Amino acid sequence: MPVTNEDLEAELAYVTNPAEQQHIRNLWAEADPLMQDISVSLIKGDNNRVDQLTKEALEAGFSANTILDDGLIAGMAIVGVKFRDNLIFVPEVLVAARAMKAGMAHVEPILSASGIEPAGTVIMGTVKGDLHDIGKNLCIMMLRGSGFRVIDLGVDTSAEEFIEAVEENEAGVLGMSALLTTTMPNMGRTIDAFEEVEMREVVKIMVGGAPLSQEFADDMGADGYGKDAISCVELAKAFMSPDTEPSISPVS
Amino acid sequence: MPYRETMSSKERVMNALAGKPVDRTPAVNPTNVATVELMDLVNAPFPDACQSGEMAARLAATGYTELGFDSVSPYFSIIQESSALGCEMQWEEKDNWPTVRMYNPIWKSADDVKIPADILEHRDMKAITDSIRMLKDEFGDEVAIIGKTMGPWTLAYHVFGVEGFLLGTVDNPDETKRALEKLKAVSILFGQAQIDAGADALTFPDHATGDLVSGEYYKEFLQDIHTEMVDVLQAPLILHICGKTVDRMPYIAKTGMASFHFDSKNDPQEAMDAVDGGITLVGNINNPETLYARGPEEVRQEVYKCLEAGVQMIGPECAVPLATKIENLMEIPLAIKDWTAERRG
Repeated sequence: MPVTNEDLEAELAYVTNPAEQQHIRNLWAEADPLMQDISVSLIKGDNNRVDQLTKEALEAGFSANTILDDGLIAGMAIVGVKFRDNLIFVPEVLVAARAMKAGMAHVEPILSASGIEPAGTVIMGTVKGDLHDIGKNLCIMMLRGSGFRVIDLGVDTSAEEFIEAVEENEAGVLGMSALLTTTMPNMGRTIDAFEEVEMREVVKIMVGGAPLSQEFADDMGADGYGKDAISCVELAKAFMSPDTEPSISPVS
Repeated sequence: MPYRETMSSKERVMNALAGKPVDRTPAVNPTNVATVELMDLVNAPFPDACQSGEMAARLAATGYTELGFDSVSPYFSIIQESSALGCEMQWEEKDNWPTVRMYNPIWKSADDVKIPADILEHRDMKAITDSIRMLKDEFGDEVAIIGKTMGPWTLAYHVFGVEGFLLGTVDNPDETKRALEKLKAVSILFGQAQIDAGADALTFPDHATGDLVSGEYYKEFLQDIHTEMVDVLQAPLILHICGKTVDRMPYIAKTGMASFHFDSKNDPQEAMDAVDGGITLVGNINNPETLYARGPEEVRQEVYKCLEAGVQMIGPECAVPLATKIENLMEIPLAIKDWTAERRG
């Protein structure tokens, strides 16, 4: 089914990479126009409309999974591309994420009750001494929007807290964030702590934050560096794949 | 004619800020150059050095006496005003900067903004004004004393929380503008107090960074306020915004600010082209990868790159990582002097 929503077609024009545009078009290939309405409302950050349309879709008999994949996640895919390409910035992503949350409030309980497995479990937190969490929160929104179960440890997280959370939740991925040059070495210390308790092999560790680089991540022994929230999701997806190589570079 | 220095550090910095000729490019950090090594050297550790004027002055002075920079800056963080406004603080130890617990914002809307009448008497405000007086007493007109007053955008992150504030810019931009209008009173009060105490120039951090918001956001919400600050605060102002900022530099160049302190995420030549002579630039030696992680030779290369591009004042891109080796910082003025000598014979 082609994209019938004119606003959505206009949004697709922002996706300039042909392969990427085709991929996103394919997300709507079999989707009902109502799902396209949900997507475009999410992209515009209209949380009330997403709330209303999601309810309507459920009442009309669409499955929670269909609404999640064809409406919410498909919309978030465009938000992600626009953010990565600097066409939109954090405020616009925040309102889209809020709209996503409005839709998720209806579909999440149904998905949980039906026993559908999440894409994986990710532990997220800012490192010890760092209280700057906007980047981490954006990553969490994008991860949840991509079907991951995310345990948010918040800010100022010690190595012990990260270890305990990974153990308790049997998480396959850990994400650490730092904004300050004074706190980013705590990422390396946390990775060392995982080594010390012989848990380094059970979890893939990704790092991100404004002062970081791939080189710094490599030096610390991280499995991956995400330069933005989109890279973070791509890394998490790659880590959950059985064919994952031990060291992943950012996708963009 | 062989190169020799003919200006005091202060004269050099003030001339550079005014776009006038200098004997050599000054080494300046408009934010600060405090490190753990320097704290130990003069027994002025964090967080005490952020709360005591005497310690702040002692630590700031090392930028000139130990490192050879042409300026001293006694405001080492971005939290003094927010602490005085009542934000919840995490003071940390000497190896980390104090931070506002922005996840527990104190206010929700512009109506909540109330500036205490005695805000300048708060310990963390007085620490800065006191330190400037002490530095003025000690150095007179020898070295440029650069104070710092936070802009309303940064204060808004602290008092409203980053997410809440940024969501508000979309939901109710007029309310955001009203909040910024009210918060700018703090910037003016504290800035004027530092000028009165003897500051020669003021850094004006206002973190509308490209990592968070667009250049158009800068134009919509801040350009006019920053232009107004130039009229109100009668000292050269150095705007500081971290991250990618090339897209907003043409707007920044029109504010009338004396200088823009720019981040290493922006190429020096590209930045010079973007401002097109409308404002002087100061920066942009990389902190995490160069000053913190590498050695003097790599620092020198970055200094030369900035000088070749015509950047008017050279310094770290932002407050330096506290574990930075002082030999890397000392390399900045040394490299400037060598570069100048090589070109002037």
